[in-house]
Amino acid sequence: MPWSRFDSNYTAPTGGRRITYCEALREGIDQAMGNDQRVFAIGLDADDKFGVFGSMSNLSFPERVLGTPISENAMTGVALGAALSGLRPIHVHLRVDFMLTAMDQIVNYVAKWQDMFDHQVKVPLVIRAIVGRGWGCGAQHSQTLHGWFAHIPGLKVVTPATPYDAKGLLLSAVADDSPVLFLEHRWLYKNTGDVPEAIYTLPLGKANVLHRGERLTVVASSLAAIHALTAIEAHGLDVDLIDPRTIKPLDLDTIVASVQRTGKLCVVDYDFPFGGFGAEVCAAVTERAFASLQTPPTRIQFPDRGMPSSGVLERAYYQTPDRLAAAFGALIEGAPVARDLIGAGA
Amino acid sequence: MERPRTIRRDDGLWLLQRMRLIRQASERIARLYPTDVMETPVHLCIGQEAVAVGVCRHLTDADKLFLGHRTHGPALAKGLPLPKLMAELYGRSTGCSHAFGGSMHLIDLEHGLPGSSAIVGGSIALGVGAGLASKLAGADFVGVSWFGDAATNAGVFHESLNFAALQRLPVLFVCEDNGYSNVMPKSAHAAFDIPSLADEYMTTMTADGTDVLAVHEQAGEALAQIRSGGGPVFLHCPTKRWMKHQGHERCDIVGNGIDEQRDCPIRKLERVLLDTHLCGAGELEQVRLSVEQQIDAAIAFAESSPFPTPAQLEVV
Repeated sequence: MPWSRFDSNYTAPTGGRRITYCEALREGIDQAMGNDQRVFAIGLDADDKFGVFGSMSNLSFPERVLGTPISENAMTGVALGAALSGLRPIHVHLRVDFMLTAMDQIVNYVAKWQDMFDHQVKVPLVIRAIVGRGWGCGAQHSQTLHGWFAHIPGLKVVTPATPYDAKGLLLSAVADDSPVLFLEHRWLYKNTGDVPEAIYTLPLGKANVLHRGERLTVVASSLAAIHALTAIEAHGLDVDLIDPRTIKPLDLDTIVASVQRTGKLCVVDYDFPFGGFGAEVCAAVTERAFASLQTPPTRIQFPDRGMPSSGVLERAYYQTPDRLAAAFGALIEGAPVARDLIGAGA
Repeated sequence: MERPRTIRRDDGLWLLQRMRLIRQASERIARLYPTDVMETPVHLCIGQEAVAVGVCRHLTDADKLFLGHRTHGPALAKGLPLPKLMAELYGRSTGCSHAFGGSMHLIDLEHGLPGSSAIVGGSIALGVGAGLASKLAGADFVGVSWFGDAATNAGVFHESLNFAALQRLPVLFVCEDNGYSNVMPKSAHAAFDIPSLADEYMTTMTADGTDVLAVHEQAGEALAQIRSGGGPVFLHCPTKRWMKHQGHERCDIVGNGIDEQRDCPIRKLERVLLDTHLCGAGELEQVRLSVEQQIDAAIAFAESSPFPTPAQLEVV
């Protein structure tokens, strides 16, 4: 698979063991719990036979895996209270959409607790959520929302794209003494890649350059990064592809340095467009590297409406590697990009 | 139930001193508040002192107390030093939250106060989290969730009681029921009886929240049950809020039935201490004067403390 190759700074050893994104997550969680007995997992259906799509199946410390009632808001407060009382919880949500009933706790409590008390306390809390489309799942089971969470001071937002990143970033998130939102795309769960068996961490706030090129900078995270890489490799495009790995903190230096070489920026962001991550990257790059931009920055995002269900509508709503390739090609050539290729609707 | 009329002298004096500390500090805050030296909303506890003091007499520094917006009373009762509270209200760096919290966000890790919240209801869940941490870590501290009657309107209240009961967590829920949600009476904000509802989830006790000896006795029973592994307990304390929901003025709700002579928790305790010859009138006056001196010192500390600098707004 093409996405097993990495930037030299954080190279996944090749030729070793290949496991899935889901198995990498499971191994990271198991090792985190084995490494530190303060780590425990809690969440709706966290302890059932399905094991959160397999990411928590057959863990070595079942006594530290707690299923909960459908009470996401209070359970977030419970996890926070436990974090403030010496433990290191991993709170898991089967879908990010379900987590929204906990927005009071996430925004008013979890994100603010350290600032409110001038960082006298640690809040070692990881909130995992599975994001993204399923299959005809409609508007309440398909959201991603990473840009929205990144808007809130006090939350780190992590979006691993590969098995190697999934494990390394998960272990970093658990080791962090501040709240981390860890968003895993459902469509990445079966992807495979090289993953070391030993414990390792990847820095939060350091991007990964997935492909080197000279004529266009593409910024894409999570599933969008994999789609963009597929598009670039299938069509041999001369594109610099940057996966920020973490939406916040954002490795703006790597992005700006790339745009200063290529002169063009396209953000592929599988999220809602208004005031989102795509807008943030475009604004920040324009502020820092205006003189380098040969053309206005471009955003490829979802249409500004809820997700549909019918396959016919889904195929129009969501981007594909082929459509990304068409958009990248047009941008490289300086040609107009069709509206449906940038998520503005047909 | 007949109210307990006897108390050990050391307990009685502790209860009196802490109630006087809360009362007199609150009255001083109310007096100073119109001068704008404290640029923060204040939700005073005058009239409600018995609940905070009666419960906290049984708590250790290891027990973790999570508060809502009406913080001063329970925080002082738990052990927050008055100078750190005053400096926080004055917006000074020496405040308990280093001037980032204000009246509604108090913290004192040394005394088991891991923070308080200004959104009604949510901190109930944090006390449950402390109880869960205690259980998972095999520790012996308890979590205490502190809230008012209006917090029982919120979904997080039910979610928290349910989970604590399912897991049999070492958590004390203290409902300081002053009968009002801001100016809305309980009859308009709750279609249920609070202790009856709580009793569906767990052992529920009620104590007169204007009588510190009653609270002290019930809280002692509740915490004994919790510490012996008996699961969570709900302690319902009907009390009276003499002040407006926020600010320095007396409550002006018509027909709220407060008689400051009859309902005063300090007068009630002083009467018992005198009647049982545990203290003389001179000693009671000495307590009052000593607290007044503590308040003078706390305010002097606050006034002489430095303000924070904008450089402290740097992103951490």
